[in-house]
Amino acid sequence: MDFFGDFPEMGRQDLRELKKGIDLAFREFSRANGDSIEAFFEPLMFFMVGLEKLLIATPWPVMIMIFAALAWLGARSIWVVLGTVVSFLLIGWLGMWEDTMATVAIISVATIVCIGVGIPLGIFMSRSDRLQTAITPILDIMQTIPSFVYLIPIIMLLGIGKVPGLLAVCIYALPPIVRLTNLGIRLVDKEVLEAADAFGASARQKLFDVQIPLALPNIFAGVNQTIMMALAMVVIASMIGVKGLGVPVLRAISNQYLALGLMNGLAIVALAIIFDRVSQAYGQRLQKHRQGGHGV
Amino acid sequence: MNKYMKGMVAAGAFALSQGAVAGCGEITMAEMNWASAELMANVDKIILEEGYGCEVELVPGATMTTFASMNEKGQPDVAGELWTNAVAEPLGVALGEGRLAISNDGPITQLGEGWFVPGYVQENHPELKTAMDILEHPELFPHPEDSSKGAFYGCPAGWGCQLANANLFRAFDMEAKGWLLVDPGSAAGLDGSIAKAVERGENWFGYYWSPTSMVGKYNLQLLDFGVPWGGSANWDGCIVKAEQDCADPQPSSWTESVVNTVVTSDFTANTDAMGYLSARVFPGPVMNGMLVYMADNQAGGEDAAIEFLLQHEDVWSAWVSADAAAKIKQSL
Repeated sequence: MDFFGDFPEMGRQDLRELKKGIDLAFREFSRANGDSIEAFFEPLMFFMVGLEKLLIATPWPVMIMIFAALAWLGARSIWVVLGTVVSFLLIGWLGMWEDTMATVAIISVATIVCIGVGIPLGIFMSRSDRLQTAITPILDIMQTIPSFVYLIPIIMLLGIGKVPGLLAVCIYALPPIVRLTNLGIRLVDKEVLEAADAFGASARQKLFDVQIPLALPNIFAGVNQTIMMALAMVVIASMIGVKGLGVPVLRAISNQYLALGLMNGLAIVALAIIFDRVSQAYGQRLQKHRQGGHGV
Repeated sequence: MNKYMKGMVAAGAFALSQGAVAGCGEITMAEMNWASAELMANVDKIILEEGYGCEVELVPGATMTTFASMNEKGQPDVAGELWTNAVAEPLGVALGEGRLAISNDGPITQLGEGWFVPGYVQENHPELKTAMDILEHPELFPHPEDSSKGAFYGCPAGWGCQLANANLFRAFDMEAKGWLLVDPGSAAGLDGSIAKAVERGENWFGYYWSPTSMVGKYNLQLLDFGVPWGGSANWDGCIVKAEQDCADPQPSSWTESVVNTVVTSDFTANTDAMGYLSARVFPGPVMNGMLVYMADNQAGGEDAAIEFLLQHEDVWSAWVSADAAAKIKQSL
């Protein structure tokens, strides 16, 4: 009867020993390999520090013009450009310029890293069902595991600062681009591939000249989602010493500074909307040639 | 007459005991988000529930949020370990207006906050006797992202001590001396930076406080500031305020830490609980020992509270009536 009443759980002592053992093993690992792992990420850190300094040192009118130009190149819409300029003017006027530049820096690097890792991974996944079965649950873990759980080992390995912050952001922001790259390539019509085969295209030509171009709208949706999720992690990243808009948000949370929290939160929202509109419009323009029908 | 009196006394005693039970009733206690306060809150919970028949609900919170809630809303009833330096002025006002009361002005002995280094820093560099000596050597504490500067680890954003550290950073002119103030972002960030540095034998310099398992575990040494106390006008009127309200901070040692058990004025009517709370004083070494136990065994506040009650009966039995002590002992 006892067996059904109480769950036959592991002994308290054993459980404690197990937890301690895992901790100790990780501590040994971080003691042995921490320095070399840190050295591995050093170029990335210099890049991030440099980019942040550059963004902050560049005169603000120049930065706003660059943002406006990027918005125009992406969206080709005067409204998006106007919205971008007004948002950044407001951000600067309300004293959030430096924090915003720091956030833009880490989001940009995070996006580049995620694209660099995610698209190739997605391509490999699309070519092998077995790989897809193996990677999908890992992506599920990355998206759902509470971020504080992986912050602890990251801090032990790399300390606090930009690199651990970047890793935390990427763990959360990487899955959509992998998933959508994989999906996009898998959704390319069988008939198109047969046609490519009929023309005698090699596997390499099929991938780069047929599958990837046709999958671009999906891939771009993935990039867009990755940027959005990276921005969602800004506050979490600030909890391990990343400068940016997350720091004043944390300060506001602990002190009930309503206005401070609202302003910085809205600055994050403004960045998100700008990135979203620009990258979505760009993705849709990529799709246009497909819908055009007549010309192509 | 005599009989009549006896009846009155009996009735009175009955009413009193009834009143005490009804008066104890439901209590909400703040469970602050650091280990010693978690332990204290859980010890309070067990003792008040088992010994006095109260119903205790623990409310998680941080210093600022808990104080604001008690001050404005009268909830939670009790903040067991409130570091009052951070809220000195509003607490003074609240005490004056009778909204809050102090039931214990020293629930833990031998505590303090200030600037710490790991023990081996001073062993390897005996010339670094005070914080002022360290400020002359930023090159010994390189910042991870800019090794030409020294890293001083301040308080996470939103903690009361964040403002004090930022203002002292200005008062000591640390930027000109080659230091950067690092915002570790969270308690996990601050602890992680210490753990990582000590595991690798790197130097670390920053703010911390005792009693904590970190201080015991990593042998952190509280530094003498090397400057005298700069007066309470400077500290309370400037150092603990936001930067815009503190135009000219003056060098000073860290203020003497005051930790209180603060209760709302409504709660002071709860005589049993108030009596216990005013007697409950953890000796510093016992608290430190419990904190190392918590860290080593990854014990939460509740587990640690049971361990404390089992191991240190001599300490806690002095806080409660013999009757309550027997009941608590039986429940363990």
